[in-house]
Amino acid sequence: MLKNLAGLWRHRALAYVLVARELKARYRGSVLGYFWSLLNPLLMLAVYAIVFAVIFTGRGPATSPYAIFLFSGLLPWTFLSSSLTDAAASLTTHGALLRKILFPAEVLPLVAVLAQGVHFVFALPVLLAGLVLGALGVFGPSIPLGWPLVQVVPLFVLEGVFVAGAGLLLAALTVHFRDVKDLLATALSLWFFATPVLYTLSDIKQERVRALLRLNPAAPFFDGWHDALFYARWIEPPRWGLLAAIAVVSFLLGYAFFDRLRDSYPEAV
Amino acid sequence: MTPSGPAVTAERLSKSYRKWGRTRAFGTLKSALLGRSLSTALAPSEVVAALSDVSFTVARGETFGVVGPNGGGKSTLLKLVAGLFKPTAGRIAVNGKVSALIELGAGFHPEISGRENVVINGVMLGLTRKEIERKLPEIIAFSGLEDFIDEPVKTYSSGMYVRLGFAVAVHVDPDILVVDEVLAVGDEAFAHRCLDTIAEFSRRGKTIFFVSHSLVLVEELCNRVLYLEAGRIRALGDPKETLAKYRMDVAAGEGTRLATEHRKDQEILLRTRKREEKSFLEGVKGAEASSAGAVLERTEAHSPFEEETPSPDASRKQETQQSVEQPLEQKIPPVTDEKARRWGNRAVSITGCRLLDASGAERYAFRSGESLTVEMSVEPRASLEDFVFGIGVFTPDEVCVHGSNTEIDGFLPVRLDGPATARVTLPRLDLGTGTYLLDVAVHSRRETPYDYWRGACRFQVDSPGRDAGLYRPERRWEFSGAVSVSAR
Repeated sequence: MLKNLAGLWRHRALAYVLVARELKARYRGSVLGYFWSLLNPLLMLAVYAIVFAVIFTGRGPATSPYAIFLFSGLLPWTFLSSSLTDAAASLTTHGALLRKILFPAEVLPLVAVLAQGVHFVFALPVLLAGLVLGALGVFGPSIPLGWPLVQVVPLFVLEGVFVAGAGLLLAALTVHFRDVKDLLATALSLWFFATPVLYTLSDIKQERVRALLRLNPAAPFFDGWHDALFYARWIEPPRWGLLAAIAVVSFLLGYAFFDRLRDSYPEAV
Repeated sequence: MTPSGPAVTAERLSKSYRKWGRTRAFGTLKSALLGRSLSTALAPSEVVAALSDVSFTVARGETFGVVGPNGGGKSTLLKLVAGLFKPTAGRIAVNGKVSALIELGAGFHPEISGRENVVINGVMLGLTRKEIERKLPEIIAFSGLEDFIDEPVKTYSSGMYVRLGFAVAVHVDPDILVVDEVLAVGDEAFAHRCLDTIAEFSRRGKTIFFVSHSLVLVEELCNRVLYLEAGRIRALGDPKETLAKYRMDVAAGEGTRLATEHRKDQEILLRTRKREEKSFLEGVKGAEASSAGAVLERTEAHSPFEEETPSPDASRKQETQQSVEQPLEQKIPPVTDEKARRWGNRAVSITGCRLLDASGAERYAFRSGESLTVEMSVEPRASLEDFVFGIGVFTPDEVCVHGSNTEIDGFLPVRLDGPATARVTLPRLDLGTGTYLLDVAVHSRRETPYDYWRGACRFQVDSPGRDAGLYRPERRWEFSGAVSVSAR
């Protein structure tokens, strides 16, 4: 497994060209091209701003202005869920490649995660613009803005590693059980509501439920995103330790599982 | 620089595939989670052996051919050599960088340009980005697609696709080139370029693993040939001997198939013949019943039962019949089956036709130059003294290759009283490769057909060389003057 991991580094050029291909192919033929990476989150922000300013009003002051709060959690969630969906399908959709060209199969789910990561990075300027508008009080009470924003970088990296591990596991499973793809959509929406994206854990009044939700490995990440983006608070070192541990354990478990089934992919896809 | 030792070593190599049976549909995650463990859910319900116990070594610089029928294990072997599949048992050691031309252009993305795809494909095949950027102009020139290289690949024709794929694969500069039936696509000019490239590789001391159904190409290019059948080594070694064995096996297989087809054909035709004969006799009897009694007696002579016991006056009766044969013949519509493959008045019927080889065994696939015997069984409705046996050999597009009969060959008919067999042997069948149809016929000396059977037998001829044409005579070359040649 360690040898394979080392081999993976040698194939970074392949990962690079495949990510570039993924992005190029996605926007080839569309008029706005790369702007869609920017435009999509912008439109999403507009929709949520309207919905929560006009329809769902009257939330607590802790998450106000809610549109910005929501946005700071929703973009990282989109990264997570799209990555997992793409990664799960990556081996089966590129089955022809696996059967004909010799290269480490894990490149495929990792490329799926990386490509979604690039979309996330493209969307960051929109998020920043939203935060600036929020700080100016456009969406209601103004939010603080400051240096804690830089925590976005390590948060993104750690979430990426966490998602890569889960993606590897799902990709390997999907090869043998095509059901995973169908199951995943439902599982992701359940996970969405079980993760503090739309709310903070402190919103949950029942102690038991809160304890249960804390077991969710994704929860600390979204606490982190809210702290870094919305509250402009520094994340304490123990929490960083926890995030790193979750990310590394997820990656190693996912990779080990993927590695164990490695020889079955060219035949089973 | 280049590693030493054999390029490829296979030791008792076996590969089996999982065959997912009916249980596969239920062997899903749901059942794995709810019942059995994951390993049970992943266990194959049945195993199919694609390769069993295959051992060979390929020396560095050798061009190694692999032939065999579909499903023989060729593709599996290539995938094992390319490292795509892992052996189920045994060992395969590959010494050097492999570039597999298994499916050219695998991994081309339809939406992006040819140029971008070349870069991606090159990186996938193991080049660094710098290397591929450096080789890019060369690759594009080789593919001959300069004008289209910036168009998305989805606009390419399948030939263009393959050309680009081949161009990338050969520029990867592998130690071992695995070629799988790629020359079948692309136009003639490109096929030549591919062959030149392969020859060039060989000259540079690269190892080539060549799989093709074109035996002529294999014979021309390869130093050694492996013949795989049903996953096992059937022959391995000298190209000429190995390919000869393969050709023989193919011919034998073809022969069995043709023999079965032939038997089925004959059964059908004989059944229609019996039906026709019955309705013909009934028709004649009906027609004669309404006319004079004397005629009725004559018709009875036609019934096969009387022929079984020829009486002294049978011959006299026969004479009478002969004299009145003509008017009767006019009444008879030419008997034809649905496919219009058979006609005649059936005064004599062909009851069977077989092809035999020199040893007298029934066969329908021959090597050029072998002996062929046509055997036809006949049965007259009544004894007669006017008959000619004939054969005709045709190509499927109706070109007459040969036709002759007992009349032409100088035999005078004397008597045909009952079931009989005629055999004609062609001691040397000097025909080129192809399928041939054999017509057999019995007719009168004035060529009134009794039974003409078009395409009674179909046979296959296989010739070893590349010479052209239907006729394949023995050749002897002699040279004189200021010329020198040497045998290849």
